[in-house]
Amino acid sequence: MNNPYQPIKTEILQVIQETPQIKTFVLKPENRFEFRAGQFIQLTIPGIGEGPFTPSSSPYKNEKLEVTIMQVGRITSSLHNMKEGDLVGIRGPYGNRYPLERWKNKEILIVGGGVGLAPLRSLFFSLTHYINDYPRIVFCYGAKTPEDIVYKESILDKWQKEFKNKVSFRITVDQGDEKWKGRVGVVTTALEGINEEIKKITESVSVVCGPPIMMKFTTLKLLDLGYKPENIYLSMEKNMSCGIGKCGHCQLGKYLVCRDGPVFTYEKLRDIPQIWD
Amino acid sequence: MKEFFLSKDSYLKFVENLSCEFSLYAPVQKGDFLFYDKVNKENIDKLFVDLRRTIHPIKSFFIPPQRRVSEYFISSSEKREEKKKVILGVKNCDLNALKILDNVYFGEEFGREYKDPYYMEARKETILISSDCMDPDENCFCTLVQSKPFPEEGFDLNLSNIEEGFIIQVGSEKGEELIEAFRDLFSSVNKDMSKKREKNREKIFKLLEKINKKFKTSSSYRELVRDSYDSSVWKKYSESCVECGGCNQICPTCRCFLLSDKKRGEKYEKYYLWDSCLLAGFARVAGGANPRPYLFQRFANRLFCKFFFFPENINLDACTGCGRCISVCPGKIDMRKVLRDLAIEKRVTVSLEK
Ligand code: SF4
Ligand code: SF4
Ligand code: FES
Repeated sequence: MNNPYQPIKTEILQVIQETPQIKTFVLKPENRFEFRAGQFIQLTIPGIGEGPFTPSSSPYKNEKLEVTIMQVGRITSSLHNMKEGDLVGIRGPYGNRYPLERWKNKEILIVGGGVGLAPLRSLFFSLTHYINDYPRIVFCYGAKTPEDIVYKESILDKWQKEFKNKVSFRITVDQGDEKWKGRVGVVTTALEGINEEIKKITESVSVVCGPPIMMKFTTLKLLDLGYKPENIYLSMEKNMSCGIGKCGHCQLGKYLVCRDGPVFTYEKLRDIPQIWD
Repeated sequence: MKEFFLSKDSYLKFVENLSCEFSLYAPVQKGDFLFYDKVNKENIDKLFVDLRRTIHPIKSFFIPPQRRVSEYFISSSEKREEKKKVILGVKNCDLNALKILDNVYFGEEFGREYKDPYYMEARKETILISSDCMDPDENCFCTLVQSKPFPEEGFDLNLSNIEEGFIIQVGSEKGEELIEAFRDLFSSVNKDMSKKREKNREKIFKLLEKINKKFKTSSSYRELVRDSYDSSVWKKYSESCVECGGCNQICPTCRCFLLSDKKRGEKYEKYYLWDSCLLAGFARVAGGANPRPYLFQRFANRLFCKFFFFPENINLDACTGCGRCISVCPGKIDMRKVLRDLAIEKRVTVSLEK
């Protein structure tokens, strides 16, 4: 019988330093591996342990897979010490995905913070794959300093040119430096005046991913701006272990994040205490 | 349901035969408690099949405290051949617990297409011979969670003690096969015997109601726990909790585990280890954020899990009333009192007489 605990042998093809603490790993699984934007994988570091990560690459390219990882704990630190040619294991993909088919013909507002940009990048590739399905996409992103911006080249330049008339970008940093000419302020400040770009806020979809505190304040701001709770999509971070609904670690109220999430609308979560902790 | 009579002598022969042909486990007394032990020549005359539940939960036969679940990137082909297991003296609360675990490990509601192959294999390879309870202890409260001290389903065979022997009920094909294999030990049941069984069952049910009289609440535990996040009861009782996690480990329906990785020789292995939601690190994420930093939140979580999350998911309470958590708690916390106090706080009728 199929063993859901068995990882697939995966080679690290390339390691890209995004910021001082964030690296992107380009992975090549031994077997064919498909996922959809929003879903997560369990990544095993041999002999060390396993952790949940969301792929950041395009779901439409399935010979390779990319994950963008910030160094925060034991597992991510060992991972940051790995190099090209090293082996890891992956299981999955697990959880639900962003329901793109329900977003057709809607204006889309993406709000990312820090390393939370990873799943949003994968989402962005999916959205732009059928770019004509969406009348407008606004991409807000906030990082601590210009140095902490991930996928710098894409988000500050390449994407802006490539999707000039379709997507507008609002990039902000909490603290600028002498070279930074863009916005300064937390990501919610980049939402000011969003109604000039998004015509029908009550119909529009917003997608939020970032650190819990950023998700909290962004959600409150979005509600304030007139977004409906059922149109605010949040990617919840939990310490998933099994990924398959058995181990209980990802429990969030009556939900299991690995099964019912990681993507939830705010409407589903609003009655659960302490969702932001 | 088919049933047969098994005289005292035949019963002994039956158990002896089972111990030869299978890995047979049955309750034995050690100190204050009953434990499952493998039946052998030394202990075969010291089994207590029909008193009450053992102290350690039956889940350990199906999800052991630690188990290797995968090997990567090379796999060896060590295979252990083991005799089929028979567990004798399983109680109704244990059977109810398996219902919960079945849902988690291979049910539709938990993890859709993902089934746990180890659990399923263990379930398939194990025969359950349950029995009516004849001597519940003061912590047993199955009647408070709408259950009964005797099994009606979920067993392969069930034994009901009626002085001159046992009535044995057949609950499955596996059970039927076992009866066929030892056909000449069994005879037919007469009306008198059935009457005796009913009387016993009624007597024990009444005894349990008496034991639990002072805890009975007029609303169900589901209703009491729902929306009680802010109750002061959690804070009050968690003050005596020492965060040992014992209540999770001993609970027959607590199924939480953690996957961990080890290196063995050239191989890497993934293990599964029991985990406890009462422990501070249980829900902590990699970055250090913890959704339940306070003990009272984790303390409440256990009961929320039992009486809110599980009912919401599969419409079953994940508490069988076995009372093991009461028996082992070093803080002397009795969840019946916790729930009763929730009721008092909500101004629900409680019977307070002693
Ligand atoms: S009470 Fe805690 S340990 Fe037990 S099943 Fe629920 S979450 Fe897991
Ligand atoms: S057994 Fe008692 S002391 Fe131990 S964790 Fe459970 S409630 Fe706390
Ligand atoms: S990660 Fe194990 S139940 Fe969700």
